[in-house]
Amino acid sequence: MTRVVTFFSTFALLTSVAFAHHGWGSYDANKPLTVTGPIVTSKFENPHATITVRGSDKVWTVTLAPISRMSNRGATEKVVAVGQNVSAYGYPSTVEKDEMRAERITVDGKTYEMR
Amino acid sequence: MTDASPAIFIALEQSGFAAAIRQSPWLYPAANVGHIVFLTLFAGAIAVMDVRLLGGLSATAPGPLLARTRNVALAALAGMAVTGSLLFSAEASHLALNPVFQLKAILVAAGLINVAVYQFWAKPAVEHLAPGASMPARAKVAGVLSLGIWAAVAACGRSIAYF
Repeated sequence: MTRVVTFFSTFALLTSVAFAHHGWGSYDANKPLTVTGPIVTSKFENPHATITVRGSDKVWTVTLAPISRMSNRGATEKVVAVGQNVSAYGYPSTVEKDEMRAERITVDGKTYEMR
Repeated sequence: MTDASPAIFIALEQSGFAAAIRQSPWLYPAANVGHIVFLTLFAGAIAVMDVRLLGGLSATAPGPLLARTRNVALAALAGMAVTGSLLFSAEASHLALNPVFQLKAILVAAGLINVAVYQFWAKPAVEHLAPGASMPARAKVAGVLSLGIWAAVAACGRSIAYF
């Protein structure tokens, strides 16, 4: 019995480390920014939709949400199509240059939450 | 897609097969959920095996118990391989360069080597033992390695998204 308890406590300890992070770990929440401009490219794909946006300073790659979540909230493929003007509030990546993950986006005066 | 990745992974990610996984509203999430469900089945089966190899559950003869739980473990492992291949294909070029994914791949290889260690070195020494018999050192080695390696594989798998 002692061995069984040791087994499962070891397993729990080893696996719990993985859950200490959260999904936005590689984005710097202390430097929020808003990128506004036309959508240049749009990929409505899993695991996350991504768009590129021509901002005032440069072209940003903006990571959005899983496509089923976006569709459920009304942010369909048409909403984030090429040529739409978007305003994306989010956080810059600490890994990829010129990439940010959007907390929410606004298109045609309507705001969609991505988290 | 990242150009820094070896050509084979770029080609895989750009294939029609991988595009279909990404563009389907349900295929990627289904593979994701399936991967975890197979993991729970796998973890349950190897937990019983490893506890028995370490000398627990000693009221039951080790041979039949290990043989049956191994079948469950192998079926679950096959399920994880299929669903994992779908998940990998969708993002192959990035995953191939992800340090945690690389570590996971090495650990999976180590886990499969340990399956051979169990099959050819530990199992012959325990499969005919009676209930209550003490387990030889080689069984405990295989059990501890299995426990440590597969727990680390699971931890790596969950951590890939954060690196």
